[in-house]
Amino acid sequence: MKSEENVGEQEMNLLEIKDLSFGYGREKVLKDINICMRKGESVGLIGANGVGKSTLLRLLTGLLDIQEGGIWINGLEMKKENMAGIRAEIGYVFQDSDSQLFMTTVYEDVAFAPRNYGKSEEETERLSMGALRQVCLEEKKDCQIYRLSGGEKKLASIATVLAMEAKVMLLDEPSVALDPRNRRNLIRILNELPGAKLIASHDLDFIYDTCQRVILLSEGRIAADHETEKILRDQRLLEAHGLELPLSFSRA
Amino acid sequence: MNRISDAVSEIYKLDMEAGKKGWLQEIHPLSKLLVTILFILLTVSFGKYDLSGLLKMGIYLIAAFVLGDISIKMLLKRMKLLLALVCLAGIGNPLFDRETLFVLGSLNVTGGMVSAATLIIKGAYSVSASYLLMITTPMEDLCRALRKLCVPKTIVTILMLAYRYIIVLLKEAERMTDAYMLRAPGQKGISYKAWGTLAGQLLLRSMDRAQVVYDSMKLRGYGGEFPQGCRKTAGMGDYAYGIGWSAALLAVRLL
Amino acid sequence: MHMADALVSPAAAGTMYAMSAAAAAYAVKKVRPDDLDRKVPMMGVMGAFVFAAQMINFTIPGTGSSGHLCGGMLLSAVLGTHAGFLTMIAVLAIQCLLFADGGLLALGCNIWNMAFYGCFVGGALIWRAMTGKKMTRGRITAASVIGCVLSLQLGAFSVTVQTLVSGITELPFSVFLGMMQPIHLAIGLVEGMITAAVLVFVYEARPEVLHGYGCETKAGGRMSRKRTAAVLASLALVIGGALSLFASAKPDGLEWSMEKTAGTAELSAEGMIYQLSEKVQGITAVLPDYSFRSSESAAGTSFSGIAGGLIVLGVCLAVCLLIKRVKHAGQKNGKVVNEQN
Repeated sequence: MKSEENVGEQEMNLLEIKDLSFGYGREKVLKDINICMRKGESVGLIGANGVGKSTLLRLLTGLLDIQEGGIWINGLEMKKENMAGIRAEIGYVFQDSDSQLFMTTVYEDVAFAPRNYGKSEEETERLSMGALRQVCLEEKKDCQIYRLSGGEKKLASIATVLAMEAKVMLLDEPSVALDPRNRRNLIRILNELPGAKLIASHDLDFIYDTCQRVILLSEGRIAADHETEKILRDQRLLEAHGLELPLSFSRA
Repeated sequence: MNRISDAVSEIYKLDMEAGKKGWLQEIHPLSKLLVTILFILLTVSFGKYDLSGLLKMGIYLIAAFVLGDISIKMLLKRMKLLLALVCLAGIGNPLFDRETLFVLGSLNVTGGMVSAATLIIKGAYSVSASYLLMITTPMEDLCRALRKLCVPKTIVTILMLAYRYIIVLLKEAERMTDAYMLRAPGQKGISYKAWGTLAGQLLLRSMDRAQVVYDSMKLRGYGGEFPQGCRKTAGMGDYAYGIGWSAALLAVRLL
Repeated sequence: MHMADALVSPAAAGTMYAMSAAAAAYAVKKVRPDDLDRKVPMMGVMGAFVFAAQMINFTIPGTGSSGHLCGGMLLSAVLGTHAGFLTMIAVLAIQCLLFADGGLLALGCNIWNMAFYGCFVGGALIWRAMTGKKMTRGRITAASVIGCVLSLQLGAFSVTVQTLVSGITELPFSVFLGMMQPIHLAIGLVEGMITAAVLVFVYEARPEVLHGYGCETKAGGRMSRKRTAAVLASLALVIGGALSLFASAKPDGLEWSMEKTAGTAELSAEGMIYQLSEKVQGITAVLPDYSFRSSESAAGTSFSGIAGGLIVLGVCLAVCLLIKRVKHAGQKNGKVVNEQN
């Protein structure tokens, strides 16, 4: 079940996970995970509840310490001493936008990362406004965060990551609690973003609309890693791992 | 629960007013903060019989409220809270202090009556002044001003974070109490049996949230320092506002 | 027991600001820097929690009324004394700024009366002494109730002293104190029970979040007893010192009622009394004649003086309204011109 990518071309790979295993206490949550991602690739991470999607994302951000195996991001190995460099390359969009957005106004929040990375005030403004433009939230820049709608909060969370100019964006259940219109808007915006994305979601229709490739996790292992079309149309595969066909296919 | 939704809408309104465009809103927050503090300080420094001097201090409030187009609807609500407290403290004054200061028509105006009046006016003035500050200054600007006044950055950061999460947690508290009330019809509040569970749940959820907030901060380069962008620099107008009002208020107080 | 600005004199407010600032500086120093970056988000969110939780109405059995939990005690039990104190400062500042619950000038008093006693007495002394050795349901409950009652009693006492020192109320010291202490005994008991209920729940659900859980040792207990004595002694010194300071500034001891506020030192108390007696003598005098004389003085309390003040306000209002109208008219004209263009 190894990834199809050529492991030899390390510098080509933006993100590489090698033989990664992880457990809470004695119980292993992730076993022998191997994933490679290239620049600009959009990869969906699917699997039933509790298969370790969130754990994998948290490992990729360095919020959890690696136990076995290794992770390389843009050629940097994930270690304590590289952590500052790695964090700058990774943007994590939390499932709960209210926890992610902790400053008072949208602009302040988006500007948090550039300021922290020592950018000048003009540079911060350029990056922040650029990020807000990409998610169409320029007009809301001085708005208090609690005044934003759920969809706008999600877009603002994405802008906070864009302003970091991170190479890889990790999204945890981005479509949860969005109404259809906001959801469609989010899909459009995600598809317009050029960077690499790893999207963990139960919403297979959403994955279908945003990802070229899908990784199916089951019981801590990679059960499949192929083009989206191939996995999401494979009813038997999905059902064997506790999932169902995307609604848009099953109805047709 | 009414108190919670009242609080939420109060913050909403205050914040909306503070975000409006107007000349008073444009004044540098530090300048407004200092004038407010000076005004309150001078107001409470008046002697308890010095009603005439105290009244004149009102020029600041009148000028700001009228020229700044500030709505006083929310102010009246705040006054109610304050007046109850102040009246409680001042209620004894007319009883204990019966010396006549002057006669108005057939009414002997006693020291106690005057001192009770100054007390109430002092209360009303100081509440109006801090209301004026809040309704023209967004919280993050105020925090920056506090930072300039050398308030430790830890406290300012906590202040900002607490302000940010008040609405989130108030809404969560509202959902929890609503869920409780829907299953406990006829109760006015939370019964003692659920005291611990309800507030304790909210506490644990808040702590979990704090953990995610910390993660989110770490992932965006936070290392103990909260960056303070300085977006507004004080201009001539800001200095003029601060110095002008300080001089005027001091003149009213001392002359 | 939030103090309003009108209830304190500048001198009392300044003194309390200084004392609270000193306590805050100490607390900032005491929270370890390597701990701080992790704790800051926790402190911010917990501040918001206390604020939200205090909005919840907890019904007191047997009565129609409701109470809320005690922030200082709870925060020090969860975050530790110093972090809890800093968080309480933020909570009080927000209550003051957003809801006019306590004044801007009186914030120093409020921090002292609620945050300091709640965290340093309720948290550092009682909580640590009672749960430092062993943490059980009973000990948590007892510590919460005793801590709340004690810190509220101290707070109520401070409120009384601050108000009387400020020369605001004519109520004699004993009457005021007799009103404040029993009320706050009842409030303290209720707040203690609610706080205890919350802490016991947390202890049963997730004990590790309670401050000091898992590091209860005998040595810790002994240490805390020593510390208890030290803090109590210094507290007594501070209160005694502050009291004697005020007492020496006021020659008449507790005869505050006829005193002027400390802030208007230029008007001595004797002068005031003199003026008063002069006025009493002149009750029968004709009004214009009398008011003419007294309006010259700074404390010119007279009908004409007050009328003068009102006239100033009226003129100010009229001028402002006029300016506003002119401005509005200007804007309207501008708009009309724009539209025509």
